[in-house]
Amino acid sequence: MEGLRFRNLSVLFALIFTLFLFTAVATLFFVPRPSEILKALKSEEMIYSLKLSLITASLSTLLVILIGIPIGYALSRFSFPGKSAVKSILDLPMAFPELVLGLALLLLFGNTAFGKLLSDFGIKVVFTKLGIVVAQFFTAFPYAVRVIHTTFEEISPRYELVARSLGYTEFETFRKVTLPMAKGGLLASTIITFARSMGAFGAVLILAGGSYMNTEILPVTLYLNISYGNIGMAITSGIVLVVVSFLAILLFEKLEDEEHGAVRG
Amino acid sequence: MALLEVENLSIDLGEFHLRDINLTVEKGDYLTVIGPTGAGKSILLEAIAGFYPLRSGRITLNSRDVTNLPPEKRGISIVYQDFVLFPHLSVFDNIAFGLRKVERDKEKVKGEVEHIAEELHISHLLHRKPGTLSGGEQQRVAIARALVVRPKVLLMDEPFSALDEKTREKLRKLVKSVIAEYNTTVIHVTHDFEDVFALATRVAVMKDGRLVQVGTPDEVFSRPKVDFVAGFVGTNVLKGEVIGKDGSLTLISVGGVVLKTADEAERKAVLSLRPENVLLARDPGLCSAQNVIKIRVERIERRGHVLWVHLDGKIKLKAVITPNAAEILGVKEGEELYAMFKASALKVIA
Ligand SMILES: Nc1ncnc2c1ncn2[C@@H]1O[C@H](COP(=O)(O)OP(=O)(O)O)[C@@H](O)[C@H]1O
Ligand SMILES: [Mg+2]
Repeated sequence: MEGLRFRNLSVLFALIFTLFLFTAVATLFFVPRPSEILKALKSEEMIYSLKLSLITASLSTLLVILIGIPIGYALSRFSFPGKSAVKSILDLPMAFPELVLGLALLLLFGNTAFGKLLSDFGIKVVFTKLGIVVAQFFTAFPYAVRVIHTTFEEISPRYELVARSLGYTEFETFRKVTLPMAKGGLLASTIITFARSMGAFGAVLILAGGSYMNTEILPVTLYLNISYGNIGMAITSGIVLVVVSFLAILLFEKLEDEEHGAVRG
Repeated sequence: MALLEVENLSIDLGEFHLRDINLTVEKGDYLTVIGPTGAGKSILLEAIAGFYPLRSGRITLNSRDVTNLPPEKRGISIVYQDFVLFPHLSVFDNIAFGLRKVERDKEKVKGEVEHIAEELHISHLLHRKPGTLSGGEQQRVAIARALVVRPKVLLMDEPFSALDEKTREKLRKLVKSVIAEYNTTVIHVTHDFEDVFALATRVAVMKDGRLVQVGTPDEVFSRPKVDFVAGFVGTNVLKGEVIGKDGSLTLISVGGVVLKTADEAERKAVLSLRPENVLLARDPGLCSAQNVIKIRVERIERRGHVLWVHLDGKIKLKAVITPNAAEILGVKEGEELYAMFKASALKVIA
């Protein structure tokens, strides 16, 4: 009896909360008039912002995954001096509010010898499009490394030992056994990274500056237009953000299904 | 010259050490390694495969020093308890995995894979993914994958532990025949003495990172060198005094009971008796066993698919019987029975 009541209550809770969430998302789509959205979608600003968002988020995702794989693998397989310190420092940005992360990056690339050296070589990060990628990279990186690390942790090193004993070198084993076995987790971390990069705002605003039609990505468009009282544009950029992330997740689920289908033969 | 020689091997893993392991394996040997959990059996196997750096010592294979060779250069295959088949590859590709590294000719690879699949009765599974197979099938695939490259040594770490008794039985037979065909030298870690009796030509006993005895199964089980080995393999160890001769047999008094052994001994003697060699009966009757002792059943303990009967009287003994026999005989704790064993089963070990 007692158990049943708890069960009903928890199900009710789940339903009410989901309804609430759904309403919030639906409001986003139904409050503005369709013609308004259409107009905003066709605006030069929106197209610029969407393009820039897709390009920078794809670039930062690529970099995050390429750098995250060896780091996640090293953390999971090898012991080296300072390993636990490396782990903590990698997690640090997760504890930072995005704005503070942005500030730290701004200081690093603007006010230090390192930043000056880069800029002497023509690599300008502060208030540039490159800055967007850098800010997105650092916002998403810790989460990606976590997922990648967990993915490798879940693969028993014995698979690698067997491959080694069958004549494959360390790197061949990584390519032929570990990487294919990690495919699902790497796919998941790619999607998470992409979604986080698309939505990254605080760090981008501080490091790249949210300047109109220059370093303007979708979250910045939303922010700028809210400030100008341009509600139609603001809502539309919100909708575009949601749709892009949603498409990314759909794609992920489709790929994952294919993967599983293949394993089941 | 021995095929595999391990000399003074020591490994330091922080909490755990392998210490001064000396082991020789001849071509065609089937060496089983037994010992309690945590003794270092798996570590020893993986050290031989090349997965751990040695603190000291030397490993030679075919007279070649392989101590510093990486695993992929040793030609030693390994089979684990949990199969570790590559889930993203078909059964065929799993078996062909190692072969493809050395054999470019696709037809040859196919031929070899099909041949060993036939040997291990898995031909009908070649197109499947490992996740869809039963435990016994997966382990046959793992054994095929390890053997098809014709390794110099095949290592197996409790390969049958995850399988049920019937499957285990079948697999032992299969392994025996395929090992014979491929003429493979095997080191097999197990906690199941059935594996030892069915397969081994030699046994090594490990404890706390050391090898405590290496010998033929008969030597280890019937003439354990130290009390630990006797206790671990369950051998009865009796201590007594020689009191005379009866024809070719030696008479030894143990706790006031006179036992007969076919071995020679003088004055004090330590005797061993395998629990499998102790028969139990309701009445002594006429029988060929030279030793018949009235004894009480103290405790019955189930171990795997057999019963260990602890007997107590003037001497203490352990006997192994099947549950079936226990039922027919009606063995119960607290009852008196007769224990019988041949003079040849009672060995003098010291
Ligand atoms: N990589 C490792 N590093 C440190 N200790 C280990 C490692 N692997 C196993 N051990 C420890 O070494 C001991 C022996 O392990 P193992 O060889 O697996 O025993 P077993 O004889 O049961 O196979 C255990 O106490 C285990 O906890
Ligand atoms: Mg083990």
